[in-house]
Amino acid sequence: MPNTDDFRVKRIQKMLLEMAKGNFFYSLEPSDKNDNIASLVVMLNMVNEEIAAAFIHQGFANAHNTPQCIIQLSLILDAKGQIELVTNGTCSLLSCMPKDLIGKHITELLTENSQRTWSKKMVKHLKRDRSETVLFLEFITNDGLFLAKDCQISVYQALDGSGQKIVLNSVFFSKGEPFETGLPKNKLKVTKGIKEHKVTLTPEDIQMIREVHDTILNNLDKDLPSLKDLALQMGTNEYKLKYGFKQIYGTTIFRFLTEERLRKSKTLIQHSNLSLKEIAHMNGFKSAAHFSRAFRDKYGKTPTDLRG
Amino acid sequence: MRRSHENKYAVYLMTEALMHIIYKKDLCIDLRAAQLIVQDRMMLQNAREMPVLCDIREVRRVNKPARDYLALEGSQWITALAFLIDPPVTDVISSIYLGTHAQTIPTRSFTKKSEALAFLKKHGQL
Repeated sequence: MPNTDDFRVKRIQKMLLEMAKGNFFYSLEPSDKNDNIASLVVMLNMVNEEIAAAFIHQGFANAHNTPQCIIQLSLILDAKGQIELVTNGTCSLLSCMPKDLIGKHITELLTENSQRTWSKKMVKHLKRDRSETVLFLEFITNDGLFLAKDCQISVYQALDGSGQKIVLNSVFFSKGEPFETGLPKNKLKVTKGIKEHKVTLTPEDIQMIREVHDTILNNLDKDLPSLKDLALQMGTNEYKLKYGFKQIYGTTIFRFLTEERLRKSKTLIQHSNLSLKEIAHMNGFKSAAHFSRAFRDKYGKTPTDLRG
Repeated sequence: MRRSHENKYAVYLMTEALMHIIYKKDLCIDLRAAQLIVQDRMMLQNAREMPVLCDIREVRRVNKPARDYLALEGSQWITALAFLIDPPVTDVISSIYLGTHAQTIPTRSFTKKSEALAFLKKHGQL
């Protein structure tokens, strides 16, 4: 049954419905087939990831007036892994009623892969009185969709002497108010901006700023012209370029440039024998000292430490 | 000089002029997998830039963190990149990857190995 085209198409419809509601945290079970439906499933999963990333990112960048909804997946389990408590958010996420979940073993909600992860990793943590870890787990909802996420797991001792318990938590961002609860009072912001610069961007402006973004990515080793010159080159003004970029990408042009340069450098530090000076130079940093400082600010250790 | 190498996710065949990477069957390429794939490629290349032929015909899933990593960190020391695909699934994977990530190097997908090699010869010369 699960492999008939009918069944697979129904799953795809469910997934599309969730996306329409603004829930980008589900995914479809990948298959090893190479047919048209399998290609649709792959495509839907990838498109979903891209929209989710764009959405959360834009949500952060543009969220000044949009409430972000945070839905929490939260469970309390006994030491054996049997579910004792579920939150409403959990039930909505898994499209179940509380009574369907309470008393069940956690592994009944997980994919085979995650069942293995769970039994392998939890043995160690349950030997201790208190322990915390993050596990990447894939849940299967009642509708057969996948819900994959890093989950924070804490093992603790119950105060009433009933032994060890496990708390499992994860957070999902969503658009709108699908479950009508959990609206945070504070708006989410990337920076503690003093003043909010709002620029009205036309589709052409957005296209132009995307071009700037891609051009920077493709020329990480080269010096960036001043914002004024760059704006002139792109046929726009400095203000629109500066605040438009920030609005779309949530960071300034120069910070973005440095971040991307650092990402490339990190790989070279780890996997090549090139000297740090060469790496700094190749990635457009003026001096090894400047490179080292920027690197430490981002990754918490210097390039020399990383190479160890 | 020919060298070969294998890890959990891929088989590498390197000659003077080309790096050929064959992704193994049925594995989900996540960030950790992508990092290992890139690490081993860079270890083999040892700072030599060359064209890369990526046979992804058996791949069924590459998640977003992995795609982002492969597009930026993972594209170093590559002069040109050809994907070998088997429609429809890997066709979709390569199209979305190419459509959503800015390419710093000439990159295209092919169903025929000979065409892929011709493309790399034309665009990947040092």
